[in-house]
Amino acid sequence: MGCGVTKSDQFHKHPSKAVTSIKAAILIQRWYRQYVARTEMRRRYTWHIFQSIEYSGEQAQIKLYNFLGYLMDNFTPSSSERNLISHIFRENEVCRDAEWERYFCYKNIEVPDIYSGPHLTFPLSVEQAVGLVQAFRDKKQLHSRYVLQLLLETWKLLRMLPNINRISTCHSKEITICGDLHGQLEDLLLIFYKNGMPSLDKSYVFNGDFVDRGKDSIEILLILFAFLLVYPSDVHMNRGNHEDHIVNLRYGFTKEVLTKYKMHGKRILKLLQKIFSWLPLATVIDQKVLVLHGGISDSTDLSLLARLDRHNYVSALRPPKRRNTSSAGISIDSDIDEDWSNHKVFQRRASFTFPKPLGTRSSFQNRSLQDFSDRIKVNVEEELETCRRRSYTFNAGINRVEKEMAPCPSTDSVNSDNAKEEWKQVLDLLWSDPMTQDGCVPNEVRGGGCYWGPDITDDFLNRHNLQLIIRSHECKQDGYEFCHNRKVLTLFSASNYYDVGSNRGAYVKLGPDLVPYVVQYQASSMTRELTVRQSVGRTERSALKVLREQLFAHKSDLISAFKTFDSENTGLVSLTDWASVVESVMHLGLPWRMLRFQLVTCKTSDGMIDYNEWFNELAIKAPNTDNIEQGLLETLYRHRSTVETIFRIVDTDNSGFITIEDFRQTWKLLSIYLKMEFTDEAISDLAVTIDVNQDGNIDIDEFMEAFRLTDKKSRLERGRSMFMGTATDLTKLEGDPDI
Amino acid sequence: MAPKKKEEPKPAPAAPKPPEPERPKTPEFDPASVTLEFTPDQIEDFKDAFQLFDRTPTNEMKITYAQCGDLIRALGQNPTNAEIMHVLGKPTAEDMQSKMLDFDQFLPMHQHICKAKDRGTFEDFVEGLRVFDKEGNGTVMGAELRHVLATLGEKMKEDEVEQLMQNQEDANGCINYEAFVKYIMAS
Repeated sequence: MGCGVTKSDQFHKHPSKAVTSIKAAILIQRWYRQYVARTEMRRRYTWHIFQSIEYSGEQAQIKLYNFLGYLMDNFTPSSSERNLISHIFRENEVCRDAEWERYFCYKNIEVPDIYSGPHLTFPLSVEQAVGLVQAFRDKKQLHSRYVLQLLLETWKLLRMLPNINRISTCHSKEITICGDLHGQLEDLLLIFYKNGMPSLDKSYVFNGDFVDRGKDSIEILLILFAFLLVYPSDVHMNRGNHEDHIVNLRYGFTKEVLTKYKMHGKRILKLLQKIFSWLPLATVIDQKVLVLHGGISDSTDLSLLARLDRHNYVSALRPPKRRNTSSAGISIDSDIDEDWSNHKVFQRRASFTFPKPLGTRSSFQNRSLQDFSDRIKVNVEEELETCRRRSYTFNAGINRVEKEMAPCPSTDSVNSDNAKEEWKQVLDLLWSDPMTQDGCVPNEVRGGGCYWGPDITDDFLNRHNLQLIIRSHECKQDGYEFCHNRKVLTLFSASNYYDVGSNRGAYVKLGPDLVPYVVQYQASSMTRELTVRQSVGRTERSALKVLREQLFAHKSDLISAFKTFDSENTGLVSLTDWASVVESVMHLGLPWRMLRFQLVTCKTSDGMIDYNEWFNELAIKAPNTDNIEQGLLETLYRHRSTVETIFRIVDTDNSGFITIEDFRQTWKLLSIYLKMEFTDEAISDLAVTIDVNQDGNIDIDEFMEAFRLTDKKSRLERGRSMFMGTATDLTKLEGDPDI
Repeated sequence: MAPKKKEEPKPAPAAPKPPEPERPKTPEFDPASVTLEFTPDQIEDFKDAFQLFDRTPTNEMKITYAQCGDLIRALGQNPTNAEIMHVLGKPTAEDMQSKMLDFDQFLPMHQHICKAKDRGTFEDFVEGLRVFDKEGNGTVMGAELRHVLATLGEKMKEDEVEQLMQNQEDANGCINYEAFVKYIMAS
């Protein structure tokens, strides 16, 4: 018998021991490899859970827009229902620039002596910018006076920038490109620590999505803007799909600003709204590398993008503004809401409803969202028919009511076609994702932009004489990912995005050779202390918790589907049936059978599942809800994120309160649209329950808090789940003691 | 006696612990010879997992050869690398990355691995580790274990060893191996 390979004397002298040792080693190695494979699988499906729920949440955003459109369509202009929401489609004020300057004036804001944060003087120096970073690291908050001042300076600068920045590398200068940061200050600090802060020798490109989801969005913006002001030729920012005030309503940035800046938050938000629309759309490096946030489509045309008026595109969920001239000949901004009636419905629909080719990624469709938008039909013909019908009835209605409005001159239809085309170009740029198949199809998962394939990339790069596209927009486990034959690089800079340990962040350095050099990192000291197994376990628990909530929120649909498989009403279904029912209702494309051990504990001895018992397991308890109608509660829970967004929209002055009357009306509208019957009484009960101080106003936060329907103890789990979806977007901020 | 530097040319019975009955000295794995004994429920379970590993753009229900071992392990078996290579038909390194198999090809491979007896019990493990317990006190030196795992058997890479041993050693660099085995087997 031969010897082993170790140097240990032991094995020389005891050959049998050698054999045993080898056996032992192999045993351990085998088990280890199994452990790795299982951990990897858990990580994979956990990721899958987060991502599919995240995307269906984004889709819900677009469905929300269509719901609002439904209101606009079906209520006459003078009705209070329409007025409730219509302000989102129009600016209440039609202002000139001078008036805006007055509105944003910071000069009257006094800084009290007890303020311990940084004081800024303009023009900003690099020491001040660095000092700002340090201050935020020390958890200070910048005073609103300085915030407004800094934002105003930024606004002035941005207005001078072109839509597409063209920059170059040179020997002394590498360019560093960062992807999504999403309010995660720790990651930005880590990048600066590893890579150095921006300077004349250290150019940076920040590729959008600076805000939302994380808790320090405003701080990130202030730091980036400060460096932008100090080094305007060396710091470049591209707009992301989250640099959009309506998206911010849903995903946390609005709330963050209003909470941190109670007095001046509204003004700050308004100014940011303008700034976002003035952020450049893309950056080109050495005429060879294109950096933009989302991606491209088969129609993306850089020269068109370079020419358009980018600040007209305030939000992905608002059609483009048009410059009118007032009678005094001074140009003013206004919405084309006045022209809404005649053809904008059709236009607006067209911008969001692409004909769907066969073979869509149906696994991402969330059935509950169809409640909101059964108007989004699955096939082309129905789609076009709906549009035709809608515009017909709408126009008919308008003609009845608004005869006095002058018909649009024909030039407007030309303008509106241009506007439509430009709109699509910007949308594609901010929202698209790459796919592995060839071609270009609408991105229904996100609800905007498209999926584009490798052939589109090749064609685009050739046409524009480029060699690489660097984009962000999608979270990647390693912080980055190449695709399309290494011609497209996705870069994501928010580590631990879904939860602690879920993914790394990355940034890219580019020298004159234009070969991307990727640096990865993972923020949070907590991660380092966790073993791989622990961090996978933690993320997995988060994902499962969210999934359970989602399942519970669909209880009625699931139960009725179960009943179809349970003709004898035994209350039991087989595992196979259970899995297929759950998928058919949830449409999340998840491996339900694999997840069953974590999702279902009540099984009979022969493997059947008692579905009623299952819901008792999942049940979520909320205080004070006994007197609330069950169906109402479920709807509320399922659509809570959307409900909150609607309330915030209705809250026109961003005060955090809406009147009981508005509340009632909003619910009535929702119930009509969802085709659910809520009695007036049920809604009143709801209102009364949360108007705790009986003053006729409802505190939106309190409302959502009262019905959050989660276990209190799991909310306190670290409190900082970065997961963003339909269910836990609120818990993310609520659990954090700093807010 | 000069130690010979070699690793695997041990007689087949000694290396992977259980010699399967269907595997003679010069075996070719013949999928057709395997009778499938899985229940329909089990097969559905495997399909779920298979799908999770499927990375093809159009969801063709195919995985690469390299993924086969991971999938079998993820489903609860713990074959050696040698056993995996055997059921795959001793592919080359290039084959591992480029060749694909579909679900029907996978099933007999999985069945074969599942049928293998003697997967290693808790006691086997502990016995194996006891070999390294010089003082007979229930602990082994972490350093020794690392060395063994990286140099014996189906060697592990340094970072793999690191990951396995993370947080297992006490202040003296010792590992209580019963606890260690429980930890590994509890995944």
